[in-house]
Formats: sequence, structure tokens, C-alpha cells
Amino acid sequence: MGLETSKDPFLTRVKQSEKDTFMQKSVAKAQDAQWDKREAARKELGHWQDWRNLGEQIRQHVIKYLPDYLEEFADNVEKRGGHVYFAKKDTDAVNYITNLAKEKHVQRVVKSKSMVTTEIDLDKALLKIPGMNLMETDLAEFILQEDDWDEPTHIVFPTLHKNRDQIREVFQKLGYEGDNDPTHMARFAREYLRRDFLQADMGITGCNFAIADSGLINLVTNEGNADLTMAIPKTQVVVMGMERLVPSLKEAEVLDNMLSRSAVGQKLTSYCSFSGEQVAGESDGPEDLHVVILDNGRSNALGTPFESVLQCIRCGACLNVCPIYRHIGGHGYGSIYPGPIGAVLSPVLDGYEKFGDLPFASSLCGACTETCPVKIPLHRLLIKHREVMMDKLKTDKAFNKAIMKGIGMGTGDPALFQMAMEFDHSATLPFVSKKPTSVENLYNHEGHITHAPSMAKGWTDVRDAPRPPKHTENFRRWYKDHEAQKGETTDGE
Amino acid sequence: MANDNREDFLNFIAEKSGRPRHQLADHPFTPINDLPETTLADKTPAELFTLAQENSEAEHVTFKAVASADLPGLLDGIIAEKKVQSLLLPTDSRIAAYGLTDWAAEQTPAPVYWNPQGTRDENIQRAQDADLAVGCVDFLCAEAGTITVATTPGQGRSFHFLPTHYVALVPQSRIVPRSRQAMDWYDAEIKAGRLHTSNINFITGPSNSGDIEMVLVVGVHGPIDMTYVVLTDQ
Repeated sequence: MGLETSKDPFLTRVKQSEKDTFMQKSVAKAQDAQWDKREAARKELGHWQDWRNLGEQIRQHVIKYLPDYLEEFADNVEKRGGHVYFAKKDTDAVNYITNLAKEKHVQRVVKSKSMVTTEIDLDKALLKIPGMNLMETDLAEFILQEDDWDEPTHIVFPTLHKNRDQIREVFQKLGYEGDNDPTHMARFAREYLRRDFLQADMGITGCNFAIADSGLINLVTNEGNADLTMAIPKTQVVVMGMERLVPSLKEAEVLDNMLSRSAVGQKLTSYCSFSGEQVAGESDGPEDLHVVILDNGRSNALGTPFESVLQCIRCGACLNVCPIYRHIGGHGYGSIYPGPIGAVLSPVLDGYEKFGDLPFASSLCGACTETCPVKIPLHRLLIKHREVMMDKLKTDKAFNKAIMKGIGMGTGDPALFQMAMEFDHSATLPFVSKKPTSVENLYNHEGHITHAPSMAKGWTDVRDAPRPPKHTENFRRWYKDHEAQKGETTDGE
Repeated sequence: MANDNREDFLNFIAEKSGRPRHQLADHPFTPINDLPETTLADKTPAELFTLAQENSEAEHVTFKAVASADLPGLLDGIIAEKKVQSLLLPTDSRIAAYGLTDWAAEQTPAPVYWNPQGTRDENIQRAQDADLAVGCVDFLCAEAGTITVATTPGQGRSFHFLPTHYVALVPQSRIVPRSRQAMDWYDAEIKAGRLHTSNINFITGPSNSGDIEMVLVVGVHGPIDMTYVVLTDQ
């Protein structure tokens, strides 16, 4: 799938998402439920703002000394007998892993949920190996895989857009004969996937946090599939974004607590595991561990105003408070990283040409910034993206230059400016609706604009615009009359 | 599969960030507050026990507390209730310490053990075939109802995940306020060279998922139910 999930233009994706009323209701229900659970879990912990300060400090410290922490982590993985590969690009990571699978004659791979492996489109590459069988074992990812690799719609709840009947239809293709009860369908998936676990010769996981001073990998899940993925296959591959480090087990413990509360409103998820290559005397766990550390555009944030986006711990809390995400769901963003964090991160990873619309998919209400457990100033970063785009991209365009030049001439020449003030009211007549004044068209100067042409159309497609007043009623005339009247009053005293 | 690009990679990101490498030794991480250690640290052992019970039960755990002398009877009851045909035990000195040696020897059919001398496939298959595993865990964290356990040669990773039902045995003296106290212990033991393990599990209740319409399903890939047994005299 890769980072980009759709080639359709942003507005097309939005319109498609708006038609999906089940998705909209599901997202609203999830946001409301998660709000209650998340806030209760944070309140129960107490001193939440101080915990946020600590979380932010941990993540900022790691990003500040990132090369040193990566070096320490890699050394410790290797001391434990594992291998570390640094991948500059997605293709580097994919080539390393597929070559490893070929070298070891791997035929059966089990995976646990990992956004970063979706980002590099690993599954499709592995499935090109002749005879390869690959199973996503997280229940939601399993459903998406069996539904012809449908797109995830949420970082934490990837199948939010699917109802139980749709999932039942997916499972029926695999031999399921039961009803649409979620428990029955989950039991079917358990039995179905257990066979794959027991036969797997390679396990692939992501990484919530990599522990620098021990070389262990921290994974946080609820289903237990990640632990089976790390326990049963002889070979394990961990794919991690290069920023996903913590200094020690202690800081992982802090962030696991904050992640669980922020992502799903639990004090801790069912399984928080800290795992490395098998040690002497143990009989399960990976005999051969490979950690692939991925840049793939993350370094674009370093040393820039966007550096703090690398603090993200992928809790998805910002999605769960976002009014735009509530309206268009994950598919509207066209990136596997949706919501406010996706709108900031996607352009950093892969540029404005593909994801330049996303920073505008925001009301800038700041709810994302307020809820972020590690204090990423998300809405400010969205504004910063807009500034950068205007500075670096838009002003280079001849069309925009011409418009700005025209506006400059009009406002810089008193005669032209006066002429515009005289005729703006009458010039807008063709675009005006003359509905009676109400709360929606309060500033009504013989009608309001409902269908403006050209660039202003984007505005009037979704809201009305006030019509300029007649030149005898405009602000300048009013101010002049007001001053004159005031002078008369003063004179009379 | 040589890792020959490491220096280039690290130099590149150092250059991008505008900060030189090898500064960490002079700037180690020092936390700005001690909330992880102090939260719930003022609770008495009795308060921690109550908290552990409340939070475990909130996570769909069956919570029991017995003296060691009553443990065999309790386990017999669980085995009967769950219609257990195959029982998996760890090769762990704590089984004897909890007074279960004779009880285990009298079980019919005989329990199977996670065998430190066994092969990978043998032990995994034993866990897969087990209806019930009775495990010895290291700590019970009161705040979230979390048991913690490090992998050992006698009690492997799959031991805790493949069996259908799971019972965790934990001494009351090992109830700690939060996951932090357990983590501090593991961190110290590993760094002192006293604990050689590739894996530490923090487990909070049975496996679960909300992936289908956000409806909570208990029992997905891991055990479908869990019982914590606190040994009040240990």
C-alpha cells in the first residue's frame, strides 16, 4: 500500500468519505467513547500535565541525541546476538527483508500490526516470493488483508469503517459459518490464525519503543498476537522508525502507561512486552533477530520547525478529538497516517506534492495539541506547513505572482482603489441571493453572495460570503460621517 | 547481511539535525519529576491488596487469595470447573516452594512440564496442547492488575500465550504499587547480571480486542480467561 493510499485528489476523497455514513457514525461513536475512557484513565492517574511534561522530556531528549541513542541501541542488539540494518529508504528496508526471507528459504510469515511495514509496502513485496504465505495476525489487519487489502482508517482501530455484517462476509470466504456476533467471529479468527503461528518460520513486528541501554524491543498490544509472533518463529524481523527509542526500560514503562491511557483508555494494555534474541537455555523466541531501522523521510524533520513531530508515540488520541477526522474518516486523508498527526507527518515524509492538501484539513481548533500525551504542538505545525508551502511553493507560481501583483497595484493606487470601492457592490450583483436577512446572512447589503466565481468558489461552496455594501454605506463613508457628526456635537458643547 | 551503512546513516542524521554526535555521555537523561516512583507509593500492603483485586477484576480476571496449604484444593476446583484434560506446569523452584510438588505428582492425567532440556518444537507443542497453564509470576502491580514474568529456561514465552486458560501464582509479598516498581527490579537484575532473559511480559488480564465495531471481545490470540491466585502466606 505504501504511505499514499489513494491517487484521487483530496476533494474527491473527501466527497467519497462524506457519502460513507456508516463510517461517519462509527467514527463519531468511537471518538465519544474514547473521550470518556481516555479522560477517565488520565484523571485516575492524576497530575496528567506533569506526566505530559515527563513524556515530552523523554521524547525530546531522545530526538536531540538520536544518533547516540541509535548507536547505543544497535550495539546492544548486536551484543545479544541480533543484527541491525539501517535503511535510508523504504526500498532499502524491503530489499533487506525480502533478501533475508529468500536466503533463509522462508515460506510462512506471520506479522503483527505495524504501521511502518504498511508504510514501506512490505507485505506485497514478500508475497512476490514464489510459494510465500503471509498472514497479518492482528484481528483488524487480518480482516483488511482478507478483504483484498482494504485501507486502514485509524492508527489504533484500522477497521472502524466496517460493520459486523461486512466482516462476516469476509470471514465466510474463509469458511466461517457462524453469525455476526463479534465474539464468535473473533474465536474463528483465533482458530484460523493459530495454525499459521505454529507453522511460521519468520515473524515480523513493528516496535513501540526500542530500549537503547538493553537492546530490547517493547511492544504494546491487547490481542497477544505480537507475543506469539515473537515466540514461535525461529526468525524475527523488527521494523522500526528511527525515532522510536527510549533510554532505558524505565522510560519505556512511563511511555507505555501514557500510550495505553491515551490510545484506548486502559491503564495498561493486556500485553506490554520487552523482547530480544533468545538467550542460552531458552527454547522459544527468535534464534535469529533482525532489526531494521528506517529513515524514509523522517530525517526531513530534523533541524527544522517540524522536529517535534518525531516525538509521536502513535497513540491516535489526536485523531480521536479531531472534528475533521470525525467528518471525513481516515480514508479522506489519503495517507496511512491520517488525522492531525498524519496531516503533519505525511508531508514531512513524502513532500507537499503528494500531501500538501493535508495541512489545510484542519479547523485549527487545537484539540489535537491539547490531548497529545507528549505535547507535540500539532495545530501550530499545521500552520507552519501552510507558511512553508506559501513561501516555497505558491509564490514561485506565475499565476499567484500575477494575482498578488494585481492586488498590489489596485491597493497601491488611490484612484484604482477608489474605483473598486465605488463598484464592488454592483459588480457582485450576478452572484447574489436576496434571501431575507437572518442569522446566516446577518451582514446583508441587499443580498449575500452564494455562488462566487473562480478562486472564491471554494468558499461559497460551503458557506455564504457577505456582499460589499454600497459605496454610500461603506465603512469609509460611515467613518467620515461619524467624525463630522462628532465634531458638530463637540462644537455644540 | 552486513550492516555496512551504519556510520553513514548516523552521520547523515547528525548533520541534518545540526548537532554533533557523541554528546550523550555528558548529557544523560535525568527525569524532571518522580511521578513514576511516587504515584501510589504511600499505600499500605493491605491497601495495595485491595487495589490489586479491584483493578484485576476490572480487567476480567478471576482473583483468588489463599494460603499455600489451600492452594491444591483451589487448583483442583479450577481444573474441574474448566474441564481441564491437559495441564502445563513450569519447571520452576517456586512450584515446590508453594507446596505443589505432591499435588502435581497426584494429578491424573499427569501434568506436562515446560522442559528446559526440551526442544523448541516439543515445548511449543506442549503449550499448544494445554487446556490450562499454571504459571509462577514475579510481581502483581496493583494499579492496573498487571502480572509480570521474565522468560526462563523452565517457563518459556509460549507458556503464557498458547494455553486456553491461564492461572498465575503470585506471593502477596510481591504485590507492588505500579509497573514502575516491577520494572526497576528487572532493570537492576539485568544490569547486575543476576537475570539472564530475552523477554519480560507485563500481562493485564486475558487477551482482548475491540476491532469489530468497538465491541470488547475477551480472548483473542492469548488465553481466553485468566485467574490470579495470591498466596497470602508467601
